[in-house]
Amino acid sequence: MTAPAEINLRLPPPDDAALDEGTLVARAREGDVQAFEQLVRRYQGPMYRLALRMLASTGDAEDVVQEVFLTAWRRLGQLEQDAAFVGWLYRTTTNRCLNVIRARKPTTDAELDQHESAGSSGRPERAAETSAQMTALTAALDLLTSEQRACWLLREVHGRSYDEIADATGTTSTAVRGRIARARAQLAEVMAPWR
Amino acid sequence: MAVNQPTQEYLLPCGRDVETVWERIDEVETGRANTHDIQCPYCGAARESLKVLRDLTGVLAADDTEPSRNLTNRIMAAVRADVRRHNMLALPTDEPGGVRVSEQAVAAVLRFAADTVGGVRARRCRVRQADSDALAIEVDMSIAVRAGGFTAAAIEQVRDRVTAAVGARIGVRLARLDLTVEDLYNA
Repeated sequence: MTAPAEINLRLPPPDDAALDEGTLVARAREGDVQAFEQLVRRYQGPMYRLALRMLASTGDAEDVVQEVFLTAWRRLGQLEQDAAFVGWLYRTTTNRCLNVIRARKPTTDAELDQHESAGSSGRPERAAETSAQMTALTAALDLLTSEQRACWLLREVHGRSYDEIADATGTTSTAVRGRIARARAQLAEVMAPWR
Repeated sequence: MAVNQPTQEYLLPCGRDVETVWERIDEVETGRANTHDIQCPYCGAARESLKVLRDLTGVLAADDTEPSRNLTNRIMAAVRADVRRHNMLALPTDEPGGVRVSEQAVAAVLRFAADTVGGVRARRCRVRQADSDALAIEVDMSIAVRAGGFTAAAIEQVRDRVTAAVGARIGVRLARLDLTVEDLYNA
């Protein structure tokens, strides 16, 4: 082979940073660690934000995200379609969060709220939460049942389909719509002072 | 609780439920409000609260808070520790003692070679020792090509580069290369 090809072999392909998801998943499934790392970098943000809103704890949220991606690495071979990867991530992250919340049960939700708001150092300062409205919304989210909160976040913040949410939370899409409607009504009530 | 009447407990004094008010916000905002929408104080108040919630939800959706930088490293350290390299290929050597390389490492080099062809992205790459020759390998590779950029010449180029890489980078002979174009991608 000619010299230019030799040189090329040492350089990353020009469009390496923006490989399509199908290619990345197919490669990761083959054991390509670099491809998997790109998937981690691409999707850890949304999974972390979902877990953070579910758990209201940066440490717990990061633990969940780490477990989800390690499980993904081990189970990629069982994933039927490459395109199903993101849906799988959302489902697994949701399940892990619900499990963490169930395991916390000895502490009631109300006590947890006080604990979290008293020790605000556990939450990083975020522009999105500087307003009093956002603080109120965050507090109201924590008062929803964990299933309602999961359904509302997945639909309204992460834009997932009702069928996908039903699959992720182990229920029917009708029940999902009901949970989201209840969540919306409760959250809107808290917004009353600002209308 | 009844799933077919999901918002029964959020009935407004006027008899509508909050979800109905939510579903009618678009109508009201685009000037298609009915008399009840306009005149009912309960619906009006609920609508204003829902609009505040809608705006805040937009802020949440646009939030791009990332986990600590350390998290990616933690995840990848756990992944690397989990990698098992069981399938090994023999490499030629003049010295006593064998040299072996994992099939995964060979596959990574060959995918890389295929990627150097414009509009081609290697996907699956299976490598195995040829039955006929211990220092030859058989490769089964699938690729994705850029939509609209598929040419026979590009496929031949992939074949050339993979063949070259097997010889120059790995140091063995390519006994067989099966190439499958399995997908198109948009770039």
